[in-house]
Amino acid sequence: MSESIEIEVGGQSADLTAPPAEVAAPKPQRTSRAKQATEPTLEVEATAKRRARKPRAAARVEDVDVRVVQPRAAAPTEDADVRVAGKAAPKVPPAAAYWDVHPGDSLHEVELEVRNNASQQQGQAAVMGNVAAGLIALIGENMRRMTEEQVGKVRELLSGTDLSDYLDSSFWQGVGMVLQYQVQEQVDFVKRRLRGEYHVDPYGMDYEMIEVVRPFMAFMYRTWWRITSHGLEHVPAEGRAMLVSNHSGVLPWDGAMITTAVSADHPVRPDRVVRSLHLHWFSTLPFVAPALAATGQVPGLPENAVRLLENDELVCVFPEGLKGVGKLYKDRYKLARFGRGGFVQAALRARAPIIPVAVVGAEEIYPMLYNAESFAKLMGFPYFPLTPFFPWLGLLGTIPLPTRWSITFCPPISTEEYGPRAADDPLTVLSLAERVRDTIQATIDTRLAERTSIF
Amino acid sequence: MSTVLINGIGSALGAQVARQLSAHDGVTVLGLARCEPSAPVGCAEWLVAHLSGLQLIELLRAEHVDTLIHLDFAGADAPAEGREAAVQQNVLGTMEVLGACIAAGVSHVVVRSHVGIYGANPKNPIMLSESRPAARGGLSGLLRDLAEVEHFLAEFTVRHPEISVAILRFAPIVGGWSPLLEYFAQPSPRTLIGFDPSMQLLHIDDAANAIVLAALSPCAGAFNLAADDAVCISQAIRLSGQQPVPTIEALIGLSASMGDRTKLRPWPFDISFLRHSCVVDTRRAKDVLGWSPTHSAVDSIHSARKNGRAIDDPATSEAAMRAFLSRKG
Repeated sequence: MSESIEIEVGGQSADLTAPPAEVAAPKPQRTSRAKQATEPTLEVEATAKRRARKPRAAARVEDVDVRVVQPRAAAPTEDADVRVAGKAAPKVPPAAAYWDVHPGDSLHEVELEVRNNASQQQGQAAVMGNVAAGLIALIGENMRRMTEEQVGKVRELLSGTDLSDYLDSSFWQGVGMVLQYQVQEQVDFVKRRLRGEYHVDPYGMDYEMIEVVRPFMAFMYRTWWRITSHGLEHVPAEGRAMLVSNHSGVLPWDGAMITTAVSADHPVRPDRVVRSLHLHWFSTLPFVAPALAATGQVPGLPENAVRLLENDELVCVFPEGLKGVGKLYKDRYKLARFGRGGFVQAALRARAPIIPVAVVGAEEIYPMLYNAESFAKLMGFPYFPLTPFFPWLGLLGTIPLPTRWSITFCPPISTEEYGPRAADDPLTVLSLAERVRDTIQATIDTRLAERTSIF
Repeated sequence: MSTVLINGIGSALGAQVARQLSAHDGVTVLGLARCEPSAPVGCAEWLVAHLSGLQLIELLRAEHVDTLIHLDFAGADAPAEGREAAVQQNVLGTMEVLGACIAAGVSHVVVRSHVGIYGANPKNPIMLSESRPAARGGLSGLLRDLAEVEHFLAEFTVRHPEISVAILRFAPIVGGWSPLLEYFAQPSPRTLIGFDPSMQLLHIDDAANAIVLAALSPCAGAFNLAADDAVCISQAIRLSGQQPVPTIEALIGLSASMGDRTKLRPWPFDISFLRHSCVVDTRRAKDVLGWSPTHSAVDSIHSARKNGRAIDDPATSEAAMRAFLSRKG
């Protein structure tokens, strides 16, 4: 069994690392056997796609290669051998020349390596390795947005550091220096913002601010919650679509993570911004309102949904609304009522396909044991959660638990055939809403059955 | 051949409309103002007067006016003198003008209004369309008068189908005097802490274009007019060269009620506009009037900032001198 996989992967690797000079090093018997594998196998790509933001085929496939060929239990020395053989030439970390082309990408490879190493460690070392990989990813994300001059500066700062050796104290020093340098770089940015030189859309969305929070969100996505996204190919690269998701987790982190799933892992258009619709009550909260608007979220009114869809945007709605986020821990993964089908009406009016989305893992980030309703009413909140940590630990209690998540994008449900008149037919609307709800519930149940632990 | 009377030709906007209309063949432009026009008015003939309803009918009949442009609102182009007088001029004045138009057989009326009449409310959708009725409360000053005028017009147009009334709802106009520009340019303008709604603006050229288009075509109903882009309030203040001072609402209310008018210039709008956005959809104006904005909001703020300000930037001075010296070659 494992034999056949090896052949396919080897063939894939040979196909993609096109210039033959690079492939020369691998073992000869593999290349000869590779001829049997005629067509590229989709499975390999599917695994590889997850981590790849830019098409660096060689690095990606090499990574898969290592993982498949070497079972987890294998001795690390042997593993290293295979890796070098697969890659054919460069030693990754300190090779300064490597930074010239795509610094973000070479860091991405280091990150993969560190993560790979960590997965073979036990206990604390594994955790530390994961955090280190997350930090490298964070730097890489930031460097994608830097100018050449800035990249040169960062390279200088990191020059003495072996990035793959995260157990060395100089690694942490190097990372610290880079982060500090980035703070200085931000000063210019802030100065420009203070002169008002930026751009917002009529909804208040500020693409620069999205770029600013993107690395943090990517950190939460990859390192904190280790989210696996399935079915992102169902999210269209062009044109309108309405994502309909279950809602959970007291604070609307799930919306942010759906957005991040598209921006981090979408195979074609990682720059698409998902416009989540939020309860219009949030627009009355100081600081929350401008933050939501800047990151592209919009008050949840039917007119807004239709308007955004007509502009060919990706709109994400949570029909459960407050009943979803304010759910008690004991009711987790039981979908609440789906409003009155307003989201279906909006999709029908705009003739947008509906993509059901099932988020698993967000229910446990703040286990809400009790809802202090009378206090909430007094303060004008929609709910006031009591969790094992909040409000007892104050702000610390608002740190979400690092559960493991999965986000599944289901195949789109077309609304074309109903026609816009169907939006006024309550039967069609309610039955479509029910169909979407059943799809999400079924997907959640499947994912829950597959899950072995919440962490 | 048509005769257009501009009521309120004295303001910067009225004068610009007069200039643009003068360029059209077959249009006779007349003007009525309460003060002498502040800017050239092209080949328009104008009189400075404050006419009663009957006198207005006489004027309209004698000059065979068929289109009237009503821009004369207190507090829109110059600071209002007092609240009572402003209501008299804005609400009752408009009713009088429209009554005179009916009596004198004017067939087409263009009235200016403001997008603020929708109010700033979290339950308003972001891209407001013209079908949304004017807010019934929560407005004060000029916006309240305009909302009242809109309610009156809604009734009036149903009762008098023989006259076509076009209502132009402008985003805050940049160019000339406006309460909003005053607010932007004052030292440390106060904003509401934790809120930064987006808003739209409109350059005075685009506003004048829209009035001309609406006056020369037989259109009726309301039109939203705004530049295509939007700015955040804090961004607009920064582009105007000031830094916003976020303040809690109680302090804003207190300083307004303490009546420290010398320090606090006229508040441009209700506090709710500092909290929630009021953004409109301009599709109808583009489709029906064929109007399209030529200036973005950011550009118009930049040009307003440059207007009438001494140049202290050496690079600009250098460029200006080079351009001047090379004018002959």
